[in-house]
Amino acid sequence: MINVLLAGFGGLGDQDHQTAMYLPAFTAHPAFRIAGVAATHPADEPRALAAAESAGVPYHADLATALSTVDAPVVSVAAPAQTRTDALLTAVRAGRHVLADKPFTPTRAEAEQVVAAAEGTGIVVAQHHRYHPMVTAGVAALRGGTVGLPWNVQVDFVVAGGHPCQDELLNFGGYPVDVVAALTNLPVLRVHATAAGPLTVLALGHEHGMTSTIVVGRTAPRAGVPEGRLAHHRYRVSGSHGVLVLDATKPAVTVSTASGLDRQWLPVDTLTGLLDDLHAVVTGAKPAGPTLDDALRTAAVLDAARRSLTEGVPVATDGGTA
Amino acid sequence: MERCFAELAERTSSTDAELAERTPNTDANAFGVVIVGTGMIAGLHIAALRSSTRARLVGLVDTDPARAAAASLANGGVRATTDLAEALAWPGVDGAIVCTPNGSHGAIAMAVAAAGKHLMIEKPLATSTAEATAVVDAFRERGLVLATAHTHRVYDYSMAVKAALDSGQVGEPQVIRATLLGGWIWGDWNAWVLDPARSGGHQLHNGVHLLDLVTWWMGATPDSVYARGRRQTATELPIYDYLEMVLRFPGDRVAVCEMSRAHRPSTTGHRDVLVIGTEGTVALPWDAEPSLVFGEQGVTALPPVSGSAFTRQLDAWLDGTPVAGGAEGLAAVAMAEAAEQSMASGQPVELTS
Repeated sequence: MINVLLAGFGGLGDQDHQTAMYLPAFTAHPAFRIAGVAATHPADEPRALAAAESAGVPYHADLATALSTVDAPVVSVAAPAQTRTDALLTAVRAGRHVLADKPFTPTRAEAEQVVAAAEGTGIVVAQHHRYHPMVTAGVAALRGGTVGLPWNVQVDFVVAGGHPCQDELLNFGGYPVDVVAALTNLPVLRVHATAAGPLTVLALGHEHGMTSTIVVGRTAPRAGVPEGRLAHHRYRVSGSHGVLVLDATKPAVTVSTASGLDRQWLPVDTLTGLLDDLHAVVTGAKPAGPTLDDALRTAAVLDAARRSLTEGVPVATDGGTA
Repeated sequence: MERCFAELAERTSSTDAELAERTPNTDANAFGVVIVGTGMIAGLHIAALRSSTRARLVGLVDTDPARAAAASLANGGVRATTDLAEALAWPGVDGAIVCTPNGSHGAIAMAVAAAGKHLMIEKPLATSTAEATAVVDAFRERGLVLATAHTHRVYDYSMAVKAALDSGQVGEPQVIRATLLGGWIWGDWNAWVLDPARSGGHQLHNGVHLLDLVTWWMGATPDSVYARGRRQTATELPIYDYLEMVLRFPGDRVAVCEMSRAHRPSTTGHRDVLVIGTEGTVALPWDAEPSLVFGEQGVTALPPVSGSAFTRQLDAWLDGTPVAGGAEGLAAVAMAEAAEQSMASGQPVELTS
């Protein structure tokens, strides 16, 4: 069993992925054990205390103290936006492996700073949608040449209802960008972004001339879609020899009763897949490189998208002229 | 030619339920139509004419005498010629349906206007905004009815989207995705569609379908177009066989249009519409097929029986209230022209009113 320290209980707006996602996922995973809880900001404290009580582990009011006290090689960082980068830096400088909530950092520059400080430790960014069984199957199919050379990807990543966040592009944009990266492994060279109310349309130009277009954001609630869940989550990869269509909203199993629907995806949910990957990194079974490289690239795409929205023209991800 | 469209409209109903009872019209007083250009699409217009009780096929024009003769034979020996002026002067001709290669549309439309005939012209209305504007002006000045055959407006799927939006249930559309993907259908290197001078490129040939649809659904014209094209089937293609056009509308609204003849397998037929509104969503997903056939050719959809879009389009023209008129045809040409400029420059292109 690998001990985990939960650090930070915030995010963008009123998000708390630590409590909602990582705490239950670590609790359920057979390879990890929650060993301590730390606040990174006064706003964290009530949730951190509740989590410590729930998990039956010690609470620490600051991360540095927790790191020197708790014997945990892994830190799960889901700190509020204002302390996120500092918390990541503190954890990696202490030589700990990190599970980093998304968005990794607010900007690409901060992401690079954290990665530079993380020499010798593993960072897994919690872009958990890349672990969706549909995506992992899609990656294998694409690498095997099932549809030949991909030349276009179309994506809809649209959440219905839930708590709106001030920056839905930063909040959600990384997910589909990361899945496209997982599917194709083709870095983005240029970005043209167009605002559509709470949604954004990202037109991306990749290496080898591939293009992708992503509709991402949050709409008002929709009947039949649980609050804050994905109403649309699909990918269409057009290749030289065929088309791969993935729709993550289609469950493998649906149990329907008078009181509702229970939908299941096989073989594992995305968070279990994420923690399996974290375990492989921590135990040295695989390098953390791919997801970390993609995290940096994703941060660059979101930076470029923000510039494109402001300037109204395509923007290069290397900061140059598109 | 004093026959009034409204008068013709009152003669008979054109509901789908009655189509089965229609018989070819031999009434000499029916609205007389000459078909100009006898390629594939002309067959669909002729089929609509055959089923109409209000209009009749007077004759055919094709610059290729062999094609003109063959089309005549296929249509009961109806008169045929290679000379447009001659055909427009035939007795009983009230209007023309033009199905020629796109690059000829402007000149033919002007000839039809000069002859005082009503016109339904295949899309695009013309291959430049200047030409399209001249055509619109010519028909307006003469009080003639000009219809642009943006037939997709009268397919069941597009009307269902429009009805859902008009009902107000989904609020204001914020993002519209309109996708039509197909495989190669254009023959070999000799196909006129591949010649930009004759077709205007894919954005004018097929792209205008989607540009027109999303404009109609949005109820507005876009501010700008950002387009990307791809020569997927062959790098030597002189036109783009895959188009993606991102249109920005006033009020932070966006449409993403994909039009393809580049997809593999060549049997691909993928239509997908998604409208995300402020209050709701309209989805016509590609796999919303109630009937599937598992046959020797693989799995194919069995489309439900539907009314004929070409008949609806013809009836609207005869009513004097075309499905898409000159203004709509012109707008589509302007958007396609902007898309072409955007693909050339790699930058979004602003549209002026």
